[in-house]
Order: sequence, then structure tokens, then C-alpha cells
Amino acid sequence: MDENKIKLLSRRDFLRSASLFTAAGVLAACTGGAAQRVEQPAAAEQPAEAAATEEAAAAEEAGAAAPAGEAITVQYWFGWGGNYAGNAWDTMKGLDKFKEVVGENITVEPSGSSGGEKLLTAVAAGTPPDGASNIQYLDYMARGVLVPIDDWVAASSIVKKENYLEGNWNDGFYQGTMYGVPANECFLRYGLNYNAKMVEAAGLDPDSPPETWSECFEWHQALTQFDEAGNLKQIGLDPYDAMGGQIGIQDGFYPPVSWGWQWFNADTGEFDLDNEMMAEAFDVMGEFYKLAGPDNMAGMRQVEGQGAWGGSFNTEVQAMIIEGYWHPGESMLEKPEVGEFNRTTWAPVPDSRRGTKVQGYGGHYVIIFNDSINKEAMFKVAEFLNTNEACDVIFETVGWLPALIPFLDTVDPTTFPGLQFYFDSVEQATEWSSPARCPITAFVSTTYQQLREAHYREQMTAPEAAAEFQTRVEEEWINAGFGG
Amino acid sequence: MAALGEDISVKLKFRRLSKLERRQLITGLLFVSPWILGFLAFTLYPVLAAMYYSLTRYDLLRPPVFIGLGNYTEIFTRDPVFPTVAYNTIYWVFFSVPLGVIAAYLMASLLNTEIKGRSVFRAIFFFPSIIPAVVVAMVWQFLLNAQFGAINATLQGLGLPTIPFISNPSLAKPSLILVHMWAQGSAIIIFLAALQDVPRTLYEAAIVDGANAWQRFWNVTVPMTTPAILFVLITGFIYGFQNFTVPWLVTQGGPANATEFISIFLYRNAFIHLRMGKASALAWILFVVVVVFSIILFKTSRHWVHYASEE
Repeated sequence: MDENKIKLLSRRDFLRSASLFTAAGVLAACTGGAAQRVEQPAAAEQPAEAAATEEAAAAEEAGAAAPAGEAITVQYWFGWGGNYAGNAWDTMKGLDKFKEVVGENITVEPSGSSGGEKLLTAVAAGTPPDGASNIQYLDYMARGVLVPIDDWVAASSIVKKENYLEGNWNDGFYQGTMYGVPANECFLRYGLNYNAKMVEAAGLDPDSPPETWSECFEWHQALTQFDEAGNLKQIGLDPYDAMGGQIGIQDGFYPPVSWGWQWFNADTGEFDLDNEMMAEAFDVMGEFYKLAGPDNMAGMRQVEGQGAWGGSFNTEVQAMIIEGYWHPGESMLEKPEVGEFNRTTWAPVPDSRRGTKVQGYGGHYVIIFNDSINKEAMFKVAEFLNTNEACDVIFETVGWLPALIPFLDTVDPTTFPGLQFYFDSVEQATEWSSPARCPITAFVSTTYQQLREAHYREQMTAPEAAAEFQTRVEEEWINAGFGG
Repeated sequence: MAALGEDISVKLKFRRLSKLERRQLITGLLFVSPWILGFLAFTLYPVLAAMYYSLTRYDLLRPPVFIGLGNYTEIFTRDPVFPTVAYNTIYWVFFSVPLGVIAAYLMASLLNTEIKGRSVFRAIFFFPSIIPAVVVAMVWQFLLNAQFGAINATLQGLGLPTIPFISNPSLAKPSLILVHMWAQGSAIIIFLAALQDVPRTLYEAAIVDGANAWQRFWNVTVPMTTPAILFVLITGFIYGFQNFTVPWLVTQGGPANATEFISIFLYRNAFIHLRMGKASALAWILFVVVVVFSIILFKTSRHWVHYASEE
């Protein structure tokens, strides 16, 4: 080797330097994140008065024309996918009304299938989107991470209480403070939808639909079919599918609606689940599963395209479903050859309550987080979603309706087969319900699913399941820090 | 040199490092610094943070509230689901891991024979272990489906009754074990390497002594590969206790909580029920169980693991 040759950089020096830079880079990345996290808590710790002053000032601005200025991108997350996340938003963003309400300098980045754990971790990390929908709203309302929007709403020329169905409007509140603007998908929650073609083929009269659970069960028996191997080919009704089995802050809990009792008192934090009605509900609804076979039902649901919330209805494997007003529209838009045979009637009630016509409010909101960057701009997006132009797009592409009375008055209920029922039910319903304001709804829902399965698999009697239901949710209420 | 029996214990003496030693130490630390920083930030800190959160009531959205051992008390004395979770996890670990090891060992033994297209077969057997877990879950969900799954369709074609593999509580865990045994590619590779390391002379000596194939396998092959078996067992148990992806995607802990393993229960508490404190406690319980189990396995290994270097 030529000793006079100048060595610029030895291999050892190169590797040493590379390690140094890598370590420095890692430290720099962590330090940058830490500084950002430090800034956000400081902002969040503003005195309540200062925050109120800031929001009042923002409310004044909200009433005025959309601010011009630097370009803003609003991050809007929601749990839906499909047509809403794609076609609907592509169309809405191009509307003149969008620019008029939201502003020329503001763009929206909608992100579908972005609820649940993704949103939770973003909020916990202090980097939430600017707004969100189709999530467990009460999880956030009850834990103080949302912006109260009372002042913005008071100053808004679009979001006016008198324009909304009362139940939908009220459900945007938690303990007297408004956190959610009703938007996207609201209106009514309960109807028994059935495929008239399948019903007729089973020898039943589609013009004489069932009213009670026992009549529903007769239809279920006639409609449920098996193949030679004993597998399910078709079922009548899965009572735990969609609105029948759902427990959600936006949807309610159907057995208490059907049997007519209040399962949770938000004022006192008391649960009423260990009662004869809950036990009867387990028994009655469990019979549908026992007829079809629990293993068969589970196997049916695991097939691609035969999932819950309308999947198996659209593939004509399920003849009946308890769903909200959106079912006729979604079915018609997604599978017109099935949707055209959809009919809707009153959701079933126990025999003892024959003649009771139950209906319920519920639906979705736009909520804004304390740590959101573009709060005011997000509120403008929420306002836009409550314009006739936006509601038109959503109705035509997805089949959803808002809680806006002026818009509902313009809708042709015959657009989708079965939708007329929901409009008629506004006047005809004899009992109304709203989802209970329970901040541990997710736990209640998980427990309900476990116990109803334990019951229809005959691991528990119905009274045992009801008692266990009460015990578990009361225990969780205390452990989650809401009682005790 | 020390004589036999002389005390040769080394007394540690701390002394100042020379300039060269200091430079070498700094260079070495620089080389490993990315790993050290990563370990501190992504392993040690989360572990310690989980210990702290396990002593709190914490829902990710509000500040944690210290409650001492409340989460642990709840898990062990008041949670009605935890006994089922514990049973499911122990069932899974004690059946899936040994069966997986046996399956991998047998497959490796077959792949170690002189057959035509051996390299092709090795690739085929290794392939399942490189498929993403989500794909594995979706494929097996289709295969095992009671109505339209390929396996049940075949059974129906043969006039046999169908089997509700993943929709019956009694069959769900064994079905997942079946999936686990199918994806033993990594263990097969490890065993194959160990098998090929067994000295030929031992087999020749055994043949000379009149040992048949089974005797050669049991008395030569297996003892000589016990270090690899121990490694696969320990790593298998560690991963077995943490099993999550495939059960979550295929059965979501059902049917009837039959596949609610501790990892799924932990996830559900953390991200669905907003009980991060309880989930942290579950994580620490799992950690302690895995450590204790590993220690027991190591301690007992001296009785059945044979290291060639000991001779």
C-alpha cells in the first residue's frame, strides 16, 4: 500500500460517523415530537375564561363570511367507507355551495374508515383530526376532549335548532352542553324491512307483515331454509342484526324500545337490565337463533358478502332486517335488483304490546376536538353538510337523510321502496325513544353480545343472563370512574 | 496457572481507562447507540409506562388517576371473563406450541432426506411463514367456513357431514391450532439446520451397533437437536402467549368467547372499553407469566438438552 496516499475517510471512520448521525437523527426526531407535545398541553391548559373568550370571538367570525387568507386543509375523519367516503365527498367538494359556506381557501381531506382505535390514539396523542363522525360520540363527549359549540351554533345562520327534529338535536348535547352538529345521517332508526319477493316465495302475504315477535317468528320459520347438509341457505330474521342488536349512542338499544322500558338513567347513573322484560327479550330473540342453529348463523356471517347491516339482505340470504330509514336507500343504490322488492313496516313488539308503534331518533354528528388545529374551519364544514345542496348529494349517492326539517320536506319518500314508512311514522308512531346517554356504551355492547350468545347457546338461562348483564355493567360503571 | 481446587474467583477492579480504551469504548457505544436509543424509547419506556398505568384508572382521554392495585384486584377477583381468558390462553399455549414444534420437527426431518426436488419442497413448506398474517386469516376463514369453505365443500361432495370449524365454540381453538401448525416455516428452517449439523459419524456408529431407524432417530437425532428444540419451544411459548392477529381476524374472540385470548382481551379493554389501566395490568400479568415460564423452561432444560460443546 502506498503510504503517501492520502486517506480521506477510513471504513471505521465512515461507520463511526454514520452511527453518530443516525443517533443524532433519532434524538432530533424524538425531541421535535416532544416539543410539539409540550406546546399542545400548554394550549389546552388555557384558563376556561380565556378559552370562552376565544370561542366567542370565533363565534362572531363564524357568523360572518368565510375568512379569506392562507390555504387551510381540514382533516375530517369518519367511520363510513363506500359511497359516502368516495362519490359523495368528491361531488360535494366541487359544489359552489361548498366554496360559499366553507371558503375558497379551505379544502377538506375526508378520511373514511377512520374511527375506532385510529381516532382514539390520534386524540390521545394530541393530534386529532379537525372533526369526526360515525364514532362513539359519547366516549369523547363524556371525557372533556370536545369543543363546546353552543356559541358557534348561536351565531350560525345555517344551524338553527328550529330546523331540526327535536330528538336528533337534543342528542348532540351532553350534560347541557352542545358538542355535536347533526349531520350526514340522522332521521329515524326503527323499521322491519323485508324482501317481498322472498316472502311471497315462502307462501306468506307481503301485504300482511308481522307486528309482534311471535308473528315475526312464524315468518322466520317459513323463510328459514336449509340444504341437504343442514347448512343455512336462507334465514328469515336475525333479530340481533343491525338495529335489532346494536347498542350505540347514535342508534339506541332495541329490546328496551320494543318492550318499553328505560335501561339507563343518565341523571342518576342507574342501570335497569335485571328485569323480566330483559329476560323475555333474551328468550324471544334467542329463539330465532336456536331455530337456525347458532353455529349456522355464525358460519353464515363469516361468508364474504353475508355480513351484518344489510350485507346478507342484499345477497338475498336474509329476508328481514330491523334497520333504520337508510336501509331502503342503501339497498336500492347498492343492489337495485333486491332493493326494488324492499318493504318496511313497524319493528316488532312483544305480544303484550300489540298495537304499539315504536320509533326512535338517533343519528350522527360532526364533533370537533379541543386539540384540533382548524376548529372554526371544521365548523364551517359541519354547516355546509347541513345545506340542501350537500344533503341532496348525500341522499342521491348514499341514501341518507339529515335531521333537517326543511330538507326532509323536499324529499320524495317514494324515491326508494320502503322509505315512505319512515316518513309516515313521524306522525303515526305512538312511542318515541332516544339513545341513552351512557358513557360506557361500548362495554355494555360487548357484554350484551357475550351474554346473548351465552343464552342462545344454552350456557345461561335468560334470567341469569339479565342478572349477569346488570352486575357486569354496574361493576364497570364504578371501575371506569363514573360511580362508586 | 491455578492449581485444581484453588480459588480462582476474580476480583473486579475499577481502574481508569487508557486513552485507547476510552476511544474504543466510545466507538463501540456509537455503533450500538441507534439500538440503545430505540430500546430506551420503544421498549424500556413503554414497559415502565405500562407499569405506572397499570396502577391507575386511565382511559387515554383523561389524566390517569392512581388506584394502586385496583386493576389487578379487579382482574383476579371480580372480572367474570378473565377465568375464561386465562383458560383459553393456557389451552392455546400448551397445545399449539408442542404440536407446532412436533409438526415442524417432523417436516424438517422429512425435508432432510435425500429426495428429488427437495429444495422445491423446502420452499413450499417455508412459504406459509412469509405470508402476511392478514392474508393467512382471510384464506383460512374461507377454507374453514361451515357453509362455503373449501374443506366443507369437499366433505359435502363426499357425502360427509360438514364441520363448523370456527363457528362452534368446541372446535374454534383446535381449528386455530391447525392453522398455527400449518405456518411453521421458520421453525422448520431452524430444525433443518440443526438436523444437518448432526455428525454423520454418530449415525455410522449407531448403525454399527445395530440401531434401527427409529433408534437412530430417538437416540441420536433428537438428543443432538435438543438445543434447537429448546429455542423453538421458548420462542414458541413467548409468541403463543401473545397470539393475536389470526384469532382476532378469524373469530374476534368468539364464538362464545372460545378464542378470547389474553392478547385479544387486553386489546378490547384498551381500545374499545377505554380501560388502558386495566389493559396495562393485563400486559404486566402476561409479562410475568412469560418470564416465569421461560425461567422454568430454562431450569428444566439441563435435564434434557444436550450441548455438544459440553463433551
